[in-house]
Amino acid sequence: MTDTHIASAFDRDLETIQALIMKMGGLVEDAILKAATSLETRDEELAEEVRNGDRAIDELEEQINEEAARVIALRQPIAVDLRVILSVMKIASNLERIGDYAKNMAKRTTVLSQMGQIHGATASIRRMAKEVERMLKDVLDAFVQRDAGTAAEVIQRDEDVDQMYNALFREFLTFMMEDPRNITACMHLHFIAKNTERMGDHATNIAEQVIYLVTGEIPDDKRPKSDRTSTDPSVAPA
Amino acid sequence: MYDTPNTERTVTTNATKFSARNVQVYYGDTHAIKDVDVDIEDKTVTAFIGPSGCGKSTFLRCLNRMNDTIDICRVEGDIRLDDQDIYDRSVDPVQLRAKVGMVFQKPNPFPKSIYDNIAYGPRIHGLAKNKADLDEIVEKSLRRGAIWNEVKDRLHAPGTGLSGGQQQRLCIARAVATEPEVLLMDEPCSALDPIATSQVEELIDELRTNYSVIIVTHSMQQAARVSQKTAFFHLGHLVEFGETGQIFTNPKDERTESYITGRIG
Amino acid sequence: MTDATLNSGGSGKSLTARDARTKRRNASEKRFQAYGMIAIGIGFFFLVVLAFTIIRSGLPAFTKTVVDVEFTITQAEYEAAESELFKTKAYQDLFIAKLEAQLQERGLEVDFDAAAIERLLGKTGGTIREYYQGNSNRLGEPVQFELAASSRVDGYFNGRVTRDTIQDSRFLMKADLDIVDALHTAGIMKSAFNWTFLTGADSGVDNPGGAGIGASVVGSFFMMLVVLLLSLPIGVAASIYLEEFAPQNKFTDLIEVNISNLAAVPSIVFGILGLAVFIQFMHLPQSAPLVGGLVLTLMTLPTIIISTRASLKAVPPSIRDAALGVGASKMQAVFHHVLPLAMPGILTGTIIGLAQALGETAPLLLIGMVGFVARGYPDGIVAGFTDPNSAMPAQIYTWAARADVAFYEKAWGGIIVLLVFLLSMNILAIILRRRFERRW
Repeated sequence: MTDTHIASAFDRDLETIQALIMKMGGLVEDAILKAATSLETRDEELAEEVRNGDRAIDELEEQINEEAARVIALRQPIAVDLRVILSVMKIASNLERIGDYAKNMAKRTTVLSQMGQIHGATASIRRMAKEVERMLKDVLDAFVQRDAGTAAEVIQRDEDVDQMYNALFREFLTFMMEDPRNITACMHLHFIAKNTERMGDHATNIAEQVIYLVTGEIPDDKRPKSDRTSTDPSVAPA
Repeated sequence: MYDTPNTERTVTTNATKFSARNVQVYYGDTHAIKDVDVDIEDKTVTAFIGPSGCGKSTFLRCLNRMNDTIDICRVEGDIRLDDQDIYDRSVDPVQLRAKVGMVFQKPNPFPKSIYDNIAYGPRIHGLAKNKADLDEIVEKSLRRGAIWNEVKDRLHAPGTGLSGGQQQRLCIARAVATEPEVLLMDEPCSALDPIATSQVEELIDELRTNYSVIIVTHSMQQAARVSQKTAFFHLGHLVEFGETGQIFTNPKDERTESYITGRIG
Repeated sequence: MTDATLNSGGSGKSLTARDARTKRRNASEKRFQAYGMIAIGIGFFFLVVLAFTIIRSGLPAFTKTVVDVEFTITQAEYEAAESELFKTKAYQDLFIAKLEAQLQERGLEVDFDAAAIERLLGKTGGTIREYYQGNSNRLGEPVQFELAASSRVDGYFNGRVTRDTIQDSRFLMKADLDIVDALHTAGIMKSAFNWTFLTGADSGVDNPGGAGIGASVVGSFFMMLVVLLLSLPIGVAASIYLEEFAPQNKFTDLIEVNISNLAAVPSIVFGILGLAVFIQFMHLPQSAPLVGGLVLTLMTLPTIIISTRASLKAVPPSIRDAALGVGASKMQAVFHHVLPLAMPGILTGTIIGLAQALGETAPLLLIGMVGFVARGYPDGIVAGFTDPNSAMPAQIYTWAARADVAFYEKAWGGIIVLLVFLLSMNILAIILRRRFERRW
């Protein structure tokens, strides 16, 4: 099967949508890193940038959905072309949620910068965010390359992110039990950590869509669920 | 397909090529086309869609006065090509048809050689001064018809010896040989298989850089794929005319929506 | 939505077992096929009988009996004969003497006299004299003479006349047959191919042996030329007008109806028309192939018009549309595209029309192209059209009507020649049609 359609306009339409996804992905990756950095360095200007940048991300999602509807109406895609369009719509939706989490992180940065520092927390969060950003980058590359193998790997890496979140959860519990004045800050940080973990889950969703695109089947829900904080009462402070 | 450069996806508004006002067409006593007003743009593919018998082919044939050959057909109203009334008494239909080419539903190459098929039009209109000129015109037309590579070694083989899709591309090449400004196509792909249809559609997409193309099709999907503007005809009326993307995602008239979603015949 | 009752009748019937209905149907189809074969067989049988009869009856016309003899006439004999009063008689006697001598050499004793020789060979004296007058240098040398025998002798050789049926007449006596046998045994008298039949002109009623069809072939040829040159262009032009350009009104309908009627008019009516208009009113030469051609043109026109119209109608309208779409005018579309495609059909119709015309007799008789008129070859091309001549069918009719049985034979021979002509015309038509068809 050759890569191009006889009707080159169809290929141009698909390339356009793909370009929009990559653009959106770039903006979201950027937002993640900036949000994490602003949290660590308490840079309010950077946080403001992230908050304002979310509008562009939302607009892109809208644009992608419109384009997808247009391609369905005008090209009647089937088989792999249909899967491309369906997965693109879901990927855009997931990217938009990740962008929202990044915006949320930036919002809380403003609040947190008025409180005392929690030792090492923001560094950990930055490491988590970096890992998530790398996952996102890899999964978007896998989308462009139509590489199901890389996508499957990304799904596995979510385990690391979950572990990092478990560790942070126990740490925050410890900090909160040690000194009740830390509770407010820790609560915010906890939400940020949780959101970052959710970012990882969304990246995993995107990976699943990539596998669906390439193979035609949604992978079994064997994704690693290492976040035992909601289920295991033994996750107690160290 | 790689003979001519690819075109941009975006459609800029162009000058008006054909403008029709208050057009009525009668077949004897039957009022076939009623009150049609439309502006066809240059360098654009415009599709006419509608159920059988709605008048789209009839209206198409008005644009190059092919309806003149039918005795009982009467055309009223104003149809202008580049602001010149084509039904004016001083206009010679033969010259009009050199400017407005036509491709028909069933591929109908002349039973002559491929070379002679293309060369016939330029010959009778005196477009070539000598054989070298004619050779050049033939090659240029066959390239424009995206069929040069397939036939360049057998220009003197009969035109009827080609496959259906190739014959239709030959007919398109023949139509562009007379340097027309407009190409009318009456269901050009209905006799072709899907691959040949795709090839012809790709060719139509390439042609719009140079010509205004009007295509009548009973396949809405084809109209969606190939055109930038779409006109929906129903029972002789022009119901809706607009940009193709808008018509197929959110048409304004509910008759249009009923037709394209397959709710009426 | 299924109807359960429909299925109940079919269950239990095997596909291989034939039911009564199918058997009956198969039987009637076989019967119909048999009828068809029988019909073809009957037609074929009659065709074979016809061909056989024609060939058997006509072939004798192509042979003649000749006396092939070589003798020498010396200068002295020549001068002696020339000095006689009845010169031809002298030559005749000379000839008889030579013949006797030759027969005696071969040891055949036969008694014959001048009268017998005259009955058998005609007036040979004149022939011999003419020869030597023109070729006096051959005197004293042996010269080969081939002298034609009378048609009665021909008849004897062919088996038409036998010893039993012969009746003594001034043409042939029983005793003459002995001479014939003797000459035949001596190898002097034998059968040869009758070139005169093919190349000669009609002869008098007395001389069936000398009758030839050659002149009337030329007459037919010139006539056909006139028909072809007139009816083809006029017919095709009329068809094109009627098919492509004529408006759809009552007048056009009237024309079309009348053309179909003309095709059914008996040919003799055209003959009377030709007589009245061409000969009496326009004073064209009587019995001329030109007039014959004009009359036959009128007859052939409807056939050509009808078949041309059918061929034009058969050209698919998509070709016309394509030509118009490229910007051709109606005339250009017709002449450049429609007409070439209709050519095979037009050619077929023309050849059919011409073949019909070739075989027409009645109208030609009325304008005077009867058999005895074909007395000689025309002098030139123009004379070919205007000199009185005959056509093959008329010639055949004239021969068939004569009393002499030998002419009857010639008539059959003429039929064979006519059929050869028609066959070659048809083959030409097939070749031309194939050539035009292959060009697409």
